[in-house]
Amino acid sequence: MSKRKDAAEVGRRGFLKGAALAGAATTIAAPLSAARAQAPAAPEKLPQGVTAGQKAAESEKLPAGAEHLIEARSGSDFMVDAFKTLGIEYIAAMPGSSFRGLQESFINYGKNTAPEWLTCLHEEISVAMSHGYAKVEGKPMLNLVHATVGLQHASMAIYNAYADRVPICMMTANIADATMRRPGVEVDHTVQDGPVITRDYTKWDDSPGSLQHFAESTVRSYQIAMTPPMGPVLLVADGSLQEDPIPEDAKLTIPKLPRFATAVGDSAAVAELAQMLVSAENPVIFADRGVPGPNGVMKNLIALAEALQCPVVDIGGRMNFPNMHPLNQSERRGALLAQADLVVGIDMTDFWGVTHGYRDQLHRTSRPLLKPTAKTVSLSSASQTIRSNYQNFQRFSDVTLEISGDGAATMPFLVEAVRKLANDDKKSAFESRGKKMADARKASYEQSKNEAAVGWDANPISTARLTMEVWDKIKGEDWSLVSGTQPASYWSRRLWKMDKYYHALGDSGAYGVGYGGGGSVGSALANRKYGRLSVAIMGDGDLMVSPSALWTAAKHKIPILMVMHNNRYYFQEVMHLQHMANRHLRDPHTANIGTEIANPNIDFAKLAQSMGVYAEGPITDPAALGPALQRAIAIVKKGEPALLDVVSQGR
Amino acid sequence: MKVTHFFATAAFVLGMAFPALAQDTAPAGDAKAGQTTFLSVGCWQCHGTVGQGGATTGPQISGTALPYSAFVQQIRVPQNAMAPYEAKILPDSDVANIYAWLKSIPASKAAKDIPLLANQ
Repeated sequence: MSKRKDAAEVGRRGFLKGAALAGAATTIAAPLSAARAQAPAAPEKLPQGVTAGQKAAESEKLPAGAEHLIEARSGSDFMVDAFKTLGIEYIAAMPGSSFRGLQESFINYGKNTAPEWLTCLHEEISVAMSHGYAKVEGKPMLNLVHATVGLQHASMAIYNAYADRVPICMMTANIADATMRRPGVEVDHTVQDGPVITRDYTKWDDSPGSLQHFAESTVRSYQIAMTPPMGPVLLVADGSLQEDPIPEDAKLTIPKLPRFATAVGDSAAVAELAQMLVSAENPVIFADRGVPGPNGVMKNLIALAEALQCPVVDIGGRMNFPNMHPLNQSERRGALLAQADLVVGIDMTDFWGVTHGYRDQLHRTSRPLLKPTAKTVSLSSASQTIRSNYQNFQRFSDVTLEISGDGAATMPFLVEAVRKLANDDKKSAFESRGKKMADARKASYEQSKNEAAVGWDANPISTARLTMEVWDKIKGEDWSLVSGTQPASYWSRRLWKMDKYYHALGDSGAYGVGYGGGGSVGSALANRKYGRLSVAIMGDGDLMVSPSALWTAAKHKIPILMVMHNNRYYFQEVMHLQHMANRHLRDPHTANIGTEIANPNIDFAKLAQSMGVYAEGPITDPAALGPALQRAIAIVKKGEPALLDVVSQGR
Repeated sequence: MKVTHFFATAAFVLGMAFPALAQDTAPAGDAKAGQTTFLSVGCWQCHGTVGQGGATTGPQISGTALPYSAFVQQIRVPQNAMAPYEAKILPDSDVANIYAWLKSIPASKAAKDIPLLANQ
């Protein structure tokens, strides 16, 4: 770890000592001005020592024995230089004194651009913002989280991102040298091994001991985060490294970020899979959670499905397949599995879960949904970074063939292999299958519409009505649904027309409640430069975990339409409580206790307004929803957030 | 509103298909009382306050086509993951009332008659 040597005397302790002495103020002022004048305008040149600072101090001709309380370039400047090579657009952070050196360097030395600092009011929100951002951009932004307590706050959001296979670059801080810690708070916020609390759900962490080490680990961490399966990475910026002058004899370099070539599945295995697909009579392809962003699997999955006229079930971790495509059979999963002779899972999260039924009664039971003769193939890179502790790797699935490789990267080779094998006889059979699928898709779509009609005028407002009122107002726009789709009964996936990767960004990954606020705002931040209309259908319980995401959206002019799906419950939980009471033959009227978010009802409009967000509600009349949406969208189009509080059915 | 996939894979399917049963006659029930009970003992949680159902929770049961005996059987000993309602917490009279209410709910408008659904 960094040794403070002489520099320690002009470091943090020296500053505090000087600040405490009124007489020292004059002494500080002049050298500061001189140092500012000599600070580089841009970070093109790497800081190579403290010569400039020393000269500045010397030029002031300090009295003999006077403390030097300034420095021109500290380690944190170099850290900023390292991050600037990565093309990161934003930093989201709640301030923390443990990274005060870095924060000041990013803002003043780094000119607060690329990355630009975004103020968050909770680390769980700042990390969720990065999560949402990465799902649009396919690359990370940066989080700074305060030492110990900040990382503890952030931990659930990190787990979500890890489970969702999304890249996030994070930094926390520490002061490894106990003799350099201010007594009191600073000691409380130091730690022997900070990243240990999140190590089970980050891809990599490091605590660099020198600036050169820091530069190398910065580039390494980005590379690891971006290698499928993507995930969060964490660096520790030691306080002394941040704040000490750059050693005069330092020969610092920043490694170049390499171009990435993603690992694809073994060519022989891919050829075997192609043969299996072409030979199967009733194949089904499932797709779930591949690389996020524009380089996902959709384009080539369309090509594969069309080459085979094979049905696709989109699990929804990403927008994997256009929902109105005739081969999208996501609503016919059960029927397809029952007939299938081959099931192919691409970047699946839970292959076992989709191929088995599970009955949650007193005696939990499961049953396979596939015929015993059916073959199964998994194509995924997920197993390459599997960890022991957290069980998000799901139950083991004894597939026929496991191909380790990234789904999106492997897909072009699979498509090519299938096309080579598909002779005219096969193509004829494929066309026949495709026609049946198209008919089935049309029927399931009509069924969805008829189901949506039931309870159309209900009060509380049905989730189908809520969803379709929103669709009516956004369908002519370039829109992006930045929230998950399950809580509102998947109506958007069933009835909206989705054919772009950003039309549905999936959910939180690990179902950690509180993702919605930060995640949606983060996705909207990424959508902003493309002029997309970001829309979130937001759960009440979820937003109440992280309501200050609204303030960040207002503060930084992040346009987003938030429509509250306000059912006034932790709805999953009320159903669980009901089940337990019934199982125990006890009072069936008590499931609301501890699950209801009512009496008093939360006024989300006032909550949002208090943080500078345009808001209306509570809206209880279904007929009032359309006009309110129109007003709110007008605000969003001006570049601001807006919220509508809609009192809704449970699901 | 907490989000998990729990119910997505284990739907509380009150309206699921049953083996063919002999036609049976439902006892006379009090539809109004049935609605009150439906909303107080948790049926609405999975099936919605007007029995419209939910994709991840339970199917539409307004105007249910289930014969009464099958309806009772599903409530008492669900074939799937639905919360069981035994007679101690939901007497036969309450079941009859709920059934009467569900049967009395008028059919909703067709999708083709709702502009937001028809004009996609």
